[in-house]
Amino acid sequence: MTLGRVTQQQVVQRSLHHMQLGSERLSRLQEQLTTGRSINRPSDSPTGTATAMRLRGSMAQAEQRERAAADGAAWLAVADGAMSSATAVVRNARELGQQSVNGATSPAARQALAASVTQLRADLVSLANTTHLDRPVFGGVTAGSRAYDDTGAYVGREGAVVRSVGDDTKVRVDVEGRSVFGPDGDSVFTHLDDLATALGAGDGAAVSTALDRLSQDLQRIGTAQSEAGTRAAAVDRAGQAATDQRLRLQGSLSEVENVDLPETVVQLRLQEVAYQAALGATARVLQPSLMDFLR
Amino acid sequence: MPGFGSINTALTALRYARVGMDVASDNVANVATEGYTRRRVESASVDQGAVPAMWFRSTGQGDGVAVTGIARVTDEVLNGRVRREHGRQSSLEVQQASLRRVEDGLAEPGPNGLAAALERLSSSWDTLSHDAGGAAARGAVLSAARDVVDTVRNQRRHVEDEMADQRTRALTDVTEVQGLVRDLAAANKAIVSGTVNGSDTNALRDSRDLMAVRLAELTGAQATVQPDGSATVVLGGATLVRGATAATVTIASGVAPDGSDDGGPLRLGVVGPDGSAEVTPGGELGGVAQLLDQTLPAYLSGLADVVAAVATAVNTQHRAGYDAAGDPGGDVFSFDAADVLGTLAVAVTDPQRLAAAGVPGPSRDASNAVALHDLGTLGGAYQQLVTGLGNTSVEVGRQLANQTVLTQQVDMAQQDLGGVSIDEEMVNLTTLQRQYEAAARVMTTVDSLLDTLINRTGLVR
Repeated sequence: MTLGRVTQQQVVQRSLHHMQLGSERLSRLQEQLTTGRSINRPSDSPTGTATAMRLRGSMAQAEQRERAAADGAAWLAVADGAMSSATAVVRNARELGQQSVNGATSPAARQALAASVTQLRADLVSLANTTHLDRPVFGGVTAGSRAYDDTGAYVGREGAVVRSVGDDTKVRVDVEGRSVFGPDGDSVFTHLDDLATALGAGDGAAVSTALDRLSQDLQRIGTAQSEAGTRAAAVDRAGQAATDQRLRLQGSLSEVENVDLPETVVQLRLQEVAYQAALGATARVLQPSLMDFLR
Repeated sequence: MPGFGSINTALTALRYARVGMDVASDNVANVATEGYTRRRVESASVDQGAVPAMWFRSTGQGDGVAVTGIARVTDEVLNGRVRREHGRQSSLEVQQASLRRVEDGLAEPGPNGLAAALERLSSSWDTLSHDAGGAAARGAVLSAARDVVDTVRNQRRHVEDEMADQRTRALTDVTEVQGLVRDLAAANKAIVSGTVNGSDTNALRDSRDLMAVRLAELTGAQATVQPDGSATVVLGGATLVRGATAATVTIASGVAPDGSDDGGPLRLGVVGPDGSAEVTPGGELGGVAQLLDQTLPAYLSGLADVVAAVATAVNTQHRAGYDAAGDPGGDVFSFDAADVLGTLAVAVTDPQRLAAAGVPGPSRDASNAVALHDLGTLGGAYQQLVTGLGNTSVEVGRQLANQTVLTQQVDMAQQDLGGVSIDEEMVNLTTLQRQYEAAARVMTTVDSLLDTLINRTGLVR
């Protein structure tokens, strides 16, 4: 712009314009500092907005994954505890059976052993009905509160309880009852019944058969337990991964959305100086006129 | 013939100096008046021998100075540019301010926006899958769904409020335009008759130019100044003002008189000296038209598409499942495809009706809740929509920044030419003062010469 004449209005308008620019920049920086965010509306940075929205979505997902993993770990831990106890109970019953094989053969003693085995069976049924948050962990997706009734028959409903613990990673967190306790009619409960009956009747051959069956049952419980352990480890890993991811995302989000405090403060300082300079220049430019010097 | 005519010459100088000082004081008085253009005294030296003729011989040395007129220092080309740039500027200003408000209402990116609500809904399905029988988890899904509906409604209301405000602005703007058009026609009439009878029309011309700029700001109408001093204002081929005749300006379509939307694009109806026409406005009304006819409706329809897609996807998956009693699931969201944003509602009222299970009959299966969670937030299209609005706002902001520089430049150029400089007026005043003093001195000298001639001639002492 070539300046021929410089008039009072020109000086005033230009000063006002520059002061307004200065105070607008100041107020933008102030908004950033007081909200702590560099993106306060989409137009502050459209690409940043898209990134921030994506990161927020991923973060919410990671948090949900963490919750899923924690819940899944609790399910598996309850099932694991129940299976450990079940192993102890069955082992206990086998020891009682062994005692009869090894010589304690008086009818009264055998009756006592049989009664103990029956009691152990009842304990095992109650273990098979172990619940987590009111749901039997061996009962699949049943709406009821029991996986096995008192006779040892499966009353659960087959179906997997799964938790989404990662991208496309779903882990089954319940344990199918029959894979632990055996199919109906050939289950550990039937075998304990058989053992109690054989002990009561003093049928040595039947006791041996029952003991063999029970040792197979023990193996099956162990297999199911180790399989559940593998899944528990997977859930733990996934939970840890989700936590790591959430923290990482939090960092990225803060990088995109939040202000760089030192830089913004320095910028604010700079704009303050610029604004004061504009004010000072205006004060000096508006003041003098030829009138001050005539006469 | 050299003689005592110089006393008369000095008198013209005194008169000229006084007119000059009047003009200078007028200029100084109006240094801060908006639309004031500085005046300049136009003068010519008086010389009786200006036209040579036979038998006529001028022997004079000039007969002083005459004031030939008081002119406004202005340039019509420049004024035309000022009007054009101001029109563009106000169109962008109104758009930017409005987009800024709409953006603020989105609350994106942040924990209170629609994106966050959709995330909460997605997460609540997964939480339900953890505890398919739990009333709390079911209630949480319902409240997350209601949250989505409320957020959508709020966003729609916010944008529609903005559109209602813009329609009200259009109505007030048109009222102002009508007033300006009438006033400008009156000013035209006064200028023409004032010029004919020789009175000073400069103040009228200043106000004529001010009104023309305001008309350009409001409608983008272009004014041309005719040789007789009147301004002709034309908007998109329709004449708003010609001479003393003013057009009637109304809103032809876009806004009903009560401020509601009449469905059409915003157009002005002009019934004027050159017949009637419907025109698309520029300037501030043009900015309002852009917002009302394109930017904001486009955002709303984009939002409707996003919401309809989310609701349909959730409904479809939900119908594939079974509720707590084992019955097939229904719709989660109900909406009318013709007015998605206005009719969106949560169709499920009983939490037990949420279809978490993937198998019929009573169970605590949660495979459908997992599948609903696996749908994701479906927020990709919404992200694009928000980013699109942000980009539009940035674009308008950038255009406005460029336009501001341009407008500033033409304003400065206009001031450069027609603005009052106090320093300049001081110099003029001083010059005129000295001129006055010098002319007075000439009179004294001639007076003293006459005194010698009349009173002392022939006296011998």
